[in-house]
Amino acid sequence: MGRSRASQEFRPHFRPEGHFDRTAAHKPILVLENVLKVFRADAPVLRGVDLTIERGEFVFVTGPSGAGKSTLLKLIYRAESVDDGRILFCGRDIARLTEDSIPHLRRNIGVVFQDFRLVPYWTVYENVAVALEVMGLQPRVVRSRVALALERVGLDGRGDERVSVLSGGEQQRVTIARAIVTEPAIVLADEPTGNLDPVLALDILGLFEEINEAGTTVIFATHDRTLLEVSPRRLVVIDDGRCIEARKGLEGLGDALEHRALN
Amino acid sequence: MFERALKGLRLQFGTQMLSVATVALSLFCMGAALLALENTGAMVRRWGAPVKVTVFLAEGVSLEQVDTLRRALTGLPEVEDARYVSSAEARQSLSAGGDATVASAPVELFPATIELRLVPSAVTADRVASVAARVRRIPAVSEVETYRGFTERLRGLLAGGRAAAGIVALGVLLCVLAVVSNTVRMSLAARLREIEVLRLVGATRAYIRTPFLVEGAMLGGVGAVVAVAVLAMVYATLRSHFDASLGTLLGVHPVFLPWTVSMLLIVGGAGLGALGSAAALRRGLQS
Ligand SMILES: Nc1ncnc2c1ncn2[C@@H]1O[C@H](COP(=O)(O)OP(=O)(O)OP(=O)(O)O)[C@@H](O)[C@H]1O
Ligand SMILES: [Mg+2]
Repeated sequence: MGRSRASQEFRPHFRPEGHFDRTAAHKPILVLENVLKVFRADAPVLRGVDLTIERGEFVFVTGPSGAGKSTLLKLIYRAESVDDGRILFCGRDIARLTEDSIPHLRRNIGVVFQDFRLVPYWTVYENVAVALEVMGLQPRVVRSRVALALERVGLDGRGDERVSVLSGGEQQRVTIARAIVTEPAIVLADEPTGNLDPVLALDILGLFEEINEAGTTVIFATHDRTLLEVSPRRLVVIDDGRCIEARKGLEGLGDALEHRALN
Repeated sequence: MFERALKGLRLQFGTQMLSVATVALSLFCMGAALLALENTGAMVRRWGAPVKVTVFLAEGVSLEQVDTLRRALTGLPEVEDARYVSSAEARQSLSAGGDATVASAPVELFPATIELRLVPSAVTADRVASVAARVRRIPAVSEVETYRGFTERLRGLLAGGRAAAGIVALGVLLCVLAVVSNTVRMSLAARLREIEVLRLVGATRAYIRTPFLVEGAMLGGVGAVVAVAVLAMVYATLRSHFDASLGTLLGVHPVFLPWTVSMLLIVGGAGLGALGSAAALRRGLQS
């Protein structure tokens, strides 16, 4: 399909002047090297995280509450910056981006949150279109791409509705449409099903899997065990400030989630 | 950009109108002060340097001497016209109001004079003083009155007016800044979610800030337009009531602010608005 091709071919312009890096297409999309993140000096949230994510992968990130899942994602879209180590996005170290370049990085990353982060007094259309408008695209292009994105999340024809009247599941579909409408190289989801009932959660997971099948890399942070069980994807557990590969059976996972249940 | 700023204005119409009204009121005060200054200025230009000098003649000067003197005075480049007023004429003109005591007073109490009318373009305080000094040396002249006291009082009035207008201007400046900055701050607070979303999807700093700057500039600019319009209306009403009597009495006709000053008020209002908005953004959009 046309759109899958578009999302696989990577066109990063982190920097306003936007150099096209030909070698980027052959590198892992994301490499974290020895990442350190400290909020309180006595207890670093992440200490020495090493993680490599290949283009087109679907990766679950899990771990007990407060383990640093959200923090890890924030580091990737530069809402926070690392205290040590490197994060290479398509081979480029995003820790060294200037303030001016951060918006350009974010145009290559779609982000979905548990609490949606939609503008309640905007329509569905406006909430999705904003991601293209900030890039200065022609209104005609914006219209057709928004329509396509809404169709992909099952909201075709509902662009004129105000998001504040939508159900939680529908609102989450709007944020997913906003995340994918730019055809980003990677989509980060921070507990996107946290506010939804179990059936809806499975729906939303299915949507992310479709997005992934179309070629987009997905990082999906969750502590919903059901989701991890139904979907045999790569699984990374953040435990004690480090990343551990925990697939090939759910054994390693048990302890980590037990830990959370106690909290 | 403009469209997004308008969207913001619609969101909080009441607050925005209130702040436009406040800005308009402040700038109206400033405009009124400038208008008063402008007209005092016109009056000072008219009266500020005397176009009239009275030459008092010594007692016992003959009519021939008077005539020679009058002709000599007319010959001065600064003098437009010289008119002889005899003692009897002086008494008559002063008693014209029907004052019987003046009319019956002895004629010697009213010295004969030559009234000089100066060429207005040649009139400066220095030249008037030099003419007076030269005339004073003529033996037939007892005294020369240049009405400097009046002049100086007028000038003092103008200087005071300037200082007052300066203070008003400073107050207005601060007021407009504060009003616009507070309005934009509220506007920012109401749209924090929107700003968060814009940041998330990769909007540049300028993309986020510009609508707020435009909003501030519009608040200031529209306020200034309203102020100038209301001032023009008030001015027109006042003039239609006072022009005839006051104008002839003062010898000056009221004028409105020059269009350059009006434009400057409007542009300045918009600029101040943008500045107030920038201040609000500095505080409100950190991180
Ligand atoms: N801006 C911040 N300032 C200080 N501490 C922070 C900040 N952000 C996160 N933390 C701390 O970092 C730790 C990890 O937080 P994070 O939100 O990443 O956890 P999480 O794994 O997403 O948890 P949850 O499953 O509850 O969402 C927490 O202890 C939190 O208190
Ligand atoms: Mg979290």
